[in-house]
Amino acid sequence: MAHEDISVIRLRDLLLVTVPPDPDDQTISVLQERVLDAMARQDCRGLVLDISTVQILDSFFARTVAETVQMVSLMGGRTVLAGMRASVAITATQLGLTMGKALTALDVDRAFDLLGALPPKGDGYE
Amino acid sequence: MPEQPNSPSNKLLGTSDSFRLLVETVKDYAIVMLDPDGYVASWNVGAERIKGYRQDEIVGKHFSCFYPLDAIERGVPQEELEAAAREGRFEDEGWRVRKDGKQFWASVVITALREKDGTLRGFGKVTRDLTERKRTEERLQQQSREIMELSTPVMQVWRGVVVAPLIGSLDSQRTQQFMERLLNRIVETNSPMALVDIMGVPTIDTQTAQHLVETISAVRLLGAQVVLTGVQPAIAQTLVHLGIDLSDITTRSSLAAGLLVALDMLNLQVVAKDLRS
Repeated sequence: MAHEDISVIRLRDLLLVTVPPDPDDQTISVLQERVLDAMARQDCRGLVLDISTVQILDSFFARTVAETVQMVSLMGGRTVLAGMRASVAITATQLGLTMGKALTALDVDRAFDLLGALPPKGDGYE
Repeated sequence: MPEQPNSPSNKLLGTSDSFRLLVETVKDYAIVMLDPDGYVASWNVGAERIKGYRQDEIVGKHFSCFYPLDAIERGVPQEELEAAAREGRFEDEGWRVRKDGKQFWASVVITALREKDGTLRGFGKVTRDLTERKRTEERLQQQSREIMELSTPVMQVWRGVVVAPLIGSLDSQRTQQFMERLLNRIVETNSPMALVDIMGVPTIDTQTAQHLVETISAVRLLGAQVVLTGVQPAIAQTLVHLGIDLSDITTRSSLAAGLLVALDMLNLQVVAKDLRS
């Protein structure tokens, strides 16, 4: 997997990352670094992880995502997982893989709505 | 027909003649004697009725003609005889062939018959025609599959709201199917709210509750929310007594109340028409 494929797009004050369909462990780690870099460089209040093309979810992926959610949170942002497939959600539940404190949304559109509707982090919301 | 005993004083029971009479005339079982190599040595009325051969047609033929071709090719008849000789008896259920080529579902018991000194004298083979029972079983299985299909509909009741009424108890197989349907429907209809109605669930146990919780967490991973509706008094009591904690799940006693919650979460509101305008 070419890591150049991973693009972190900034839309207004949110970051949008599309996770490639079949990410290997290294891709996921690179993705985490890029996301955190972008959070540091650009003052963003949230991250949308589009996982609508991901077909297989393993424990490493789940753990890294959960960690990323925590890290982004420490840097003052919220994370939304958008567009998980039904089959992936069923497998994840059966394997007991939780995504930590990630918010979820049916698609990217709703994820932006969700983050837009929530007050910025640190305003006594959590 | 063999001759009937002409007087009740005739000592019918206990004689080998009367036993032969029983075997020969019983119609519900095919009782066949085979010689040690598997050739038919005797035949009864039941065998004629079930397998279709008359006694003079079949005696002396090899018993493998009762088996379907593929079973013969796999050497099944011989294996069964060997198993019976080894173990003393062999029992099997499977398709067998009648004289007219039609198949029937047979329950077969082959028993090895030995002389006192242990030499193999032959085999006794008792066959029953269980085609009817087999068909009934298949019909039942199909019906239960259909019921399972029917009992988990997922309907869209509003833009962004789906309702899934659960009827009957939830075992793990049904949970799997229900989960798939519900999640697929949520994705198809792009609905952020799902109402799961358990009014039709007669009783709830820890396992059922566990299955519900699993389904709800899968729905959350998709990015939708579940409202559990139709929580009856008895169910509420059971849940508390069993110590099942559903506190992070929104629950309501009626579907109508659940729908209001769903609409509220979608920032929608139902208002009365203004009659004056």
